[in-house]
Amino acid sequence: MIGAVDTGALYELAWAAPLAVLVVTIAWGLVIRGTTSALEARRDGRTVPAGLHALVAIAGAALFTAALVFGLIIMTTK
Amino acid sequence: MENDIILAIVVITALAFDFTNGFHDTANSVATSISTRALAPRTAVTLAAILNFAGAFISLEVAATIASGIVDAAIITPTVIFAGLIGAIFWNLLTWYFGLPSSSSHALIGGVVGAAFIASGANAVKGAGLLEKVIVPALVAPIIAFVAAGGAILITYRMVGRLRPGPVSRGYRIGQIASLSLLSLSHGTNDAQKTMGIIALALVTQGTLAPGDPPPTWVIVAAASAIALGTYSGGWRIIRTMGSRIIKMDPAQGFSAQTGGAAVILTAAHLGFPLSTTHSITGAVLGAGAAKRLSAVRWGLAGNIFLAWVLTLPCAALVGALTYGVTRIFGDGALGPVIVSVALVTLMAVVFGKRLKRGPALTTAVEA
Repeated sequence: MIGAVDTGALYELAWAAPLAVLVVTIAWGLVIRGTTSALEARRDGRTVPAGLHALVAIAGAALFTAALVFGLIIMTTK
Repeated sequence: MENDIILAIVVITALAFDFTNGFHDTANSVATSISTRALAPRTAVTLAAILNFAGAFISLEVAATIASGIVDAAIITPTVIFAGLIGAIFWNLLTWYFGLPSSSSHALIGGVVGAAFIASGANAVKGAGLLEKVIVPALVAPIIAFVAAGGAILITYRMVGRLRPGPVSRGYRIGQIASLSLLSLSHGTNDAQKTMGIIALALVTQGTLAPGDPPPTWVIVAAASAIALGTYSGGWRIIRTMGSRIIKMDPAQGFSAQTGGAAVILTAAHLGFPLSTTHSITGAVLGAGAAKRLSAVRWGLAGNIFLAWVLTLPCAALVGALTYGVTRIFGDGALGPVIVSVALVTLMAVVFGKRLKRGPALTTAVEA
């Protein structure tokens, strides 16, 4: 009866799902960290660090958006 | 004529199940967002309802052949489907009454298994299918979601822990709106299809629809509307349990739980290993709470939820079996389903009528 369970998919799920969560968490964390730090740096008149932090936020947003789009693709193609 | 009456009863019961499914599962997508004040309660359920409605149209691959691989397809009749639906509706309402999140899909499978067991004996039920599609996913989903959301909140605190809390909380509240939307869309896609599959199957058994044909437009619109209406009604008792009774969560925890649950569900769908939304989100909420502090979780309540999960299949099966048995007392025709339907509607009117007389506390507890 155990043979009925797709153990391959199960093992893949066990590492892929936490990895997906990790990617999304880091992506949104970068957005928040980048945005908050960029705003603080700009307020202090430090334009170069502000720009760098803004870039980090943009990279995080791009990654987060990519994850959302991937989720939508999974929904529409399954 | 008799067949038409049975078909009509099955369609109405399937839509009623769809309504309870939306109503029962609203908490999965909105509870954490409401708890952390990312969205006002009514705004959250409205957004979830709209996206559930839209989700029902995204993928029309009605693979949701009811209890496929678990029950011998040859013995499924409209009466078996009807009895299974009654079992699932009963369990959804009972668990809602006690504010316990549980899987509507597992309740439906349980109801059909019970009815099929009485209709054709133990051989009609496939143990391997039950293990693969119910028992293993029920064990796996909360564990993976627990670990994933727990890890997510630890990383989150490490990344943003030293920043000013105001902007950080605002940021995670915005993130929650995105994850709520994804979860609601996913729920509409998955769960409305179950109802479409049930109605399509009933139409096929009556010869109204050819096997393999897509469901008629009215079936799609009706299923989408029922799940959206159910979602909009909001199962506030379960929302309160998921959102604030298991743990008191901050926006970062809410985001981790919601995103963790969504990522686990969608990864599983991508791998062809469908998991229960309810089990995944509940596991993620527990993980997000326990990773911060073990004592932050109300483990007694978590135990009650686990008990409800264990009881879902046997209890829904029992009610499905009883319903099938009662309908058969009145023969093969439409009389049995008609009598059972009238009796149940009367019973529900009495129970809910009494509650309504006592006041609106049931539906507005979270909004207050």
